[in-house]
Amino acid sequence: MSTPNCLRCLVRPSAGIPVSGPMSRTATTATPIAALPLTRTLTAPFSTTAASNAAPRRAFQPAASTKGHSRVGKKLQLGKFKKDRVAERGRVPQPGERKAYRKRITLSNDNAIPVPWLTDLAPADMTAAENTARVLALPEEVQDQLRAGEAFKTTQCWGMFRKPAVLVRKETVNLANQMQESADNRKTLRLVVTGDKVAGKSMMLLQAMAHAHLNNWIVINLPEAHEITTASTEYAPIPNTDPVQYMQPVYVLKLIHAIKRANEQVLSKTYTIQAHPELPQNIPSNTPLLALANVAKEADGAWPVFQALWNELTAQKANRPPILLCLDGLAHAMKVSDYRSPSFERIHSHDLALVRLFTDALGGGVQFPAGGAVLAATSRNNAPRAPSMELALAQREAEARRGAGAAGVEVPQKDPFFRGYDDRVEAVLRSVRVLRVAGVDKLEARALMEYWAASGMLRATVDEKTVTEKWTLAGSGVLGEMERAALLTMRI
Amino acid sequence: MVFIFGVNFNEQKLVKKALQSFYALGPQTADRILAKYSIFPGAKIGTLPPKTLTALTAELSTMNIESDARRVLQDNIKRLRDMGTYRGRRHAMGLPVRGQRTRNQTQSARKLNKVERWG
Repeated sequence: MSTPNCLRCLVRPSAGIPVSGPMSRTATTATPIAALPLTRTLTAPFSTTAASNAAPRRAFQPAASTKGHSRVGKKLQLGKFKKDRVAERGRVPQPGERKAYRKRITLSNDNAIPVPWLTDLAPADMTAAENTARVLALPEEVQDQLRAGEAFKTTQCWGMFRKPAVLVRKETVNLANQMQESADNRKTLRLVVTGDKVAGKSMMLLQAMAHAHLNNWIVINLPEAHEITTASTEYAPIPNTDPVQYMQPVYVLKLIHAIKRANEQVLSKTYTIQAHPELPQNIPSNTPLLALANVAKEADGAWPVFQALWNELTAQKANRPPILLCLDGLAHAMKVSDYRSPSFERIHSHDLALVRLFTDALGGGVQFPAGGAVLAATSRNNAPRAPSMELALAQREAEARRGAGAAGVEVPQKDPFFRGYDDRVEAVLRSVRVLRVAGVDKLEARALMEYWAASGMLRATVDEKTVTEKWTLAGSGVLGEMERAALLTMRI
Repeated sequence: MVFIFGVNFNEQKLVKKALQSFYALGPQTADRILAKYSIFPGAKIGTLPPKTLTALTAELSTMNIESDARRVLQDNIKRLRDMGTYRGRRHAMGLPVRGQRTRNQTQSARKLNKVERWG
């Protein structure tokens, strides 16, 4: 029940006339209970509030035809205003749109200044020691190939420069030379790239891939191991395998498409040596491997196609180009995966057929016909603990240093009181080489900063003082930290 | 829309959530069923092949869920009542069973404690 008087203005709402409207209308007809001056002060002569707020509030106005008493109450008005209060939400993003935005790779920036002295990478550039501490651009076709193989990462600063370019470091030359040497000798280089956070491990893989593409290798890249082992894609047991292995049809289909797009030229010039009648589409011998890869149209038949492709690529005595097999985020491939077997036990990552294919190659179980390389990079951002992997890498590193003649190097041993070691992981990493990526030296840092300055992204004179300052800020030239110290301070 | 065990599910629904929507089938059992048919945890109903759907329905029909599980519950309460136990009587009267006060706040007991209890 409402009070007979309006408590705000102390006006009895007996007449069908707005009670707190303009003063000329209210003063004559309404019956003020309190003193008249009180009602007159309803509208302030001057206000700093917005015009709409400052205007006197219009009370409920009953229709002119209504007779008798009409109730002026807060609740009645609320119902009326509800209709107006539809919030404007804007456009709702389509399914997958936000993810696409998050994962997009921008490779050029039209606002950056083109660097006049920047030259494109040539096939032999990364193996030449005189190119150390030079910034070289990735050619257009290699950009497309690397993009198809998902070699670029969203965390890297490609979108700041006119065209993607990479710094050739000592480690790059070292790695490219090792790759080239093994390809020349028809051997397989098996190497793990490791190092501190943002030191450039993934970038080292990218440079290896660029080198391989430039030299007409076949490149197969597994961009993130966690996509394979964290139970985020479909899986199914492969029939007639003992112990049971699992295929991941959807992921493999995506991988085949990526391989196809990244290696189109090379695959169209490489031919099958045997017929594949078991595939959905019959593939006779002497067909381009591109046609074989094209057979994979649906996830259902993707795994047999991938297997046929892999068997063809690794067929001995066949005329094949060298092969580069890469994987980033090794720790995820060296643990028990999040998948469950039908008996509800966790499946070891090495029982996933795709991971097993990689670990077999990394462990030395596969010989590529024309040689090549199997590279893996560890990650420091998103990595589960893999004690066996950490120990094995430390051991290999210490052994290499001892082999190089360093005195007093002790090879770390297993902790006898720790149970979390994994024999399968140790077996895979027993004979790999380890490449440690640390900070760059000042010469390389200077080359990089000169490139940044020439692109207009570093607004400072690049002299010895600036270089030393940024190099020191970045913990002795850790590249990602240098970017943060010098480059990303401008990012809005 | 896809039928599992006679219930219609949206294709965008997670298989795990769809399984959990059945009475007496919780997260643990749902996980085990997924593992048994090699369905990954993020799978949606729409991506399952028809073979797996029929297998799931067959699996669910062998399990003690929905009305079977409810009947077990009701039988347990009936048994208590027929024996004339205190718990049975309290169930029949719709009053708290485990020593709670009845002066006020017995809405849950009044709602749930009955012989023909529904879940």
